[in-house]
Amino acid sequence: MTSTGPRWVRYASGAVMAVVLVALPFMFPAFRVNQFVTWMCLAVAAAGLNLLTGFNGQISVGHGALYGLGAYTAAILVTDSGWPMLATPVAAAAVCFVAGVVIGLPALRIKGLYLALVTLAVATLFPALVEQFSSLTGGSSGLSLVVPQDDCPRGRPECPVRWESPIDGLASDQWRYFVFLAVTVVMFIVVANIVRSRTGRSLVAIRDNEVAAEASGVNVSRAKILTFGTSAAIAGVGGAMLALNNGRVNPTSFTLLVSIYLLVAVVVGGAATIVGPAVGTVVAGLFNDVIAPELPGRFENAAPVILGVLLVIQMLLAPNGIVGQIRDLQARIAARRHGGDPGGQTGHLATPGGTGTEPEDLGSASGT
Amino acid sequence: MNDFLEVVVVGIGNGAVYAMLGLGLVVIYRSTGLLNFAQGELSMFSTFIVWTIWNAGVPLWLAILGGMAGGFLVGILLHQVAVSPLGDPHEKPLAVVIVTIALFLALNGAAQLIWGTVDKRLDPLFGQSQVTIGGVAIQWQKIGAVLVLVALATGFVLLFNRTKLGLAMRAVASNSESAGLCGVPVPRILMLGWGLAAAVGTVAGVFTAPQLGLGTNMMQLTLIFGFAAITLGGFDSLIGAVVGGMVVGILSAVVPQYVSTFERMPLAPAFILILAVLLFRPQGLFGSKEVQRV
Repeated sequence: MTSTGPRWVRYASGAVMAVVLVALPFMFPAFRVNQFVTWMCLAVAAAGLNLLTGFNGQISVGHGALYGLGAYTAAILVTDSGWPMLATPVAAAAVCFVAGVVIGLPALRIKGLYLALVTLAVATLFPALVEQFSSLTGGSSGLSLVVPQDDCPRGRPECPVRWESPIDGLASDQWRYFVFLAVTVVMFIVVANIVRSRTGRSLVAIRDNEVAAEASGVNVSRAKILTFGTSAAIAGVGGAMLALNNGRVNPTSFTLLVSIYLLVAVVVGGAATIVGPAVGTVVAGLFNDVIAPELPGRFENAAPVILGVLLVIQMLLAPNGIVGQIRDLQARIAARRHGGDPGGQTGHLATPGGTGTEPEDLGSASGT
Repeated sequence: MNDFLEVVVVGIGNGAVYAMLGLGLVVIYRSTGLLNFAQGELSMFSTFIVWTIWNAGVPLWLAILGGMAGGFLVGILLHQVAVSPLGDPHEKPLAVVIVTIALFLALNGAAQLIWGTVDKRLDPLFGQSQVTIGGVAIQWQKIGAVLVLVALATGFVLLFNRTKLGLAMRAVASNSESAGLCGVPVPRILMLGWGLAAAVGTVAGVFTAPQLGLGTNMMQLTLIFGFAAITLGGFDSLIGAVVGGMVVGILSAVVPQYVSTFERMPLAPAFILILAVLLFRPQGLFGSKEVQRV
C-alpha cells in the first residue's frame, strides 16, 4: 500500500497481514481479543488524525476530544434514542464532521505550534465539558449503553448492549472482533482513497508549501477546513466504535492522554503513510497493554518514562516512523540497485513546510 | 461587592502563579522560539525536589533555592539531550510538539516513580494567616505570590535589558546566526534559557502545591492557564506574561462565579481568550509582530 517496493512484495505482505488478522482471535483469550478491538478503535481515530497532521500538516493535540465526542454521540443515540448500534458510527461521523469544521475555521489563521496549543486546550477542556452537561452525558459517573429488550436478566426492561454471534462456533468476542475489523478496514480504505485522490494530492501540496499550492490553483481554505472535518469524522467513527465495544463511556477515558497517544501512534507508525497509524497503534498497544503490566510492581510507573525516552530517541534518529523508515530503506536499496540518487532520505517530519515539494511524498501519496 | 472583591483577590492570587509559569514559557520562547508543553511538568518535578529538601528539615525558603538549582540543572539537561538536537523549531513543529510531549510523559512518570502517586503536603511559603483590608480578607500567601512575581519579573527585565548576558540572549533570539558570527556562544545561551525557565517554574509550583496538593498532575491545568496568559500578553513579552497572568487569573475566577454555563469549567474563559487572541491579534497585547517571508 505504502511501500515503493516491487509489486509481489506488496501483495505478499498484504496476504500475510490478512492471515494474521484473521487468525488472531483464535489464538488469544477473550480479554486479549477485546484489547485488540480497542486498538482498532484507536487505530481508526489515529488514521483520521494522520490525514490532518501527517498529510495536511495541521497539528492537532485535541483529537482525543473528537474521539470522545464520537463515543458520546453513539452512547446517547443508543441509550436515549434507541438507535441500532451499527448506525451510530455514521451519526458520530456527521456530528464530529461539524465539530471538526468549527475547529478548522480558526485553524485557517492559527498554524503550527499555535494550533497545537489551541487543540491541546480543547483536549484538556473536553472532560470538563462532559461534566458541565451532565444531564446529557451522565457527568463523571459516565453513561452505560443500554437497549430495551424482552429477555433481560432480573426482569429489567433494559440491559447492556450485547454482541451475540450469529455463526455457530464463533464466540461473541470473536464475532465482535470481525465486525470491528471490517469497519476498521473500510475506514483505512476510505483514508487511502482520499489520500490518492486529487484532493489528497492538494493536501500534501498545502503541507509542503501553502503559497505554492494556492498559486497552483488549490483552494487552500476550503481544502484545509474539509480536511479538518473529515479527519474529525473519522476520529468520531473510532470513538463510536469504542463506545459500542465497551458498552459504556466515561469522561476519564477521553483525557489529554488519549490525544497524546493518538499523536504518538501516528508519529511512531509513520506520519503521512496509510498503514502507519495502525502500526503505531499496535506498537503503543503492545507497550501499554502487554509490556507495561508485566513491569515489576515498583516500576509500574516506569512505562511513561520509557515511552517518553523512546519517543525522543525516535524523533532524533528515525523521525519518519516505522513505515516511513522502511520506505526510506526500500528507496535506498532500489536506488543502489539502479545506481541512481537515493531520493527517499528526506522525511516529512524533517521538512514540512520546507523549501519545496518532495517528489517522493507526492509520488507515494498518488499511490505509486 | 465584598464577595466580588474576594473573588477578584482569589483571581489575582492564582493569576500571579499563572504569570510565573508564563515567565518561564516566555523565556523559552524568546531564547529557542518554541512553546514548551513540558513546562508544567518541569515545574512539578522541581517542586518535588523542593519538597524532598524541605521534608529533610531544611527551612522552606532555602529548600526553594535548592529546588530552583535542581530545576535549572534538569532544564539544562533536557535541552541538551532532547531539544537542542532537533534544530529550528519553526521548521518542524510536529517534531517539537512530539518531543516536548515526550518530556511531559517522561517527567510525569519519573515523578510518580520517585515520589509515588499519593499527594504530598507542602506548607505555604507565607503561612496560613490573612489580613483584612476594607472588609476583604486576603491571605498573606496571595500577597506574597504577587510580591514574588514582581520580584521575578523585575529580575528578568533587568537581566534581559541591563546585563551582557541578557544582551546576548536578545541577540540570539532576534537572529541566532548573526549572533553566533559576532561571537555569542549560541548553544550555551539557549541552554541557559531552558535552565532559567525551569528555575522560575519551580516558584510557580511552590505556590500551586499548597493549594492543590503536591501531586504529579497538579500543573496540567495551570499550564493551560499559563499559556493563556502569554497568548494574551504576547509570546515574547515578559510584561505581557505578568499582565496576561493577572487578567486570566481574574477572568477564570470571576466568570464561573457569575455565568452558570462555565460553573464547572474555569478553563473555558481561558480557552476562549486563547482562541480570540490568536484569531484577532496573534501578537497579543505586548508581543512583537511575527513577520513571514514568502
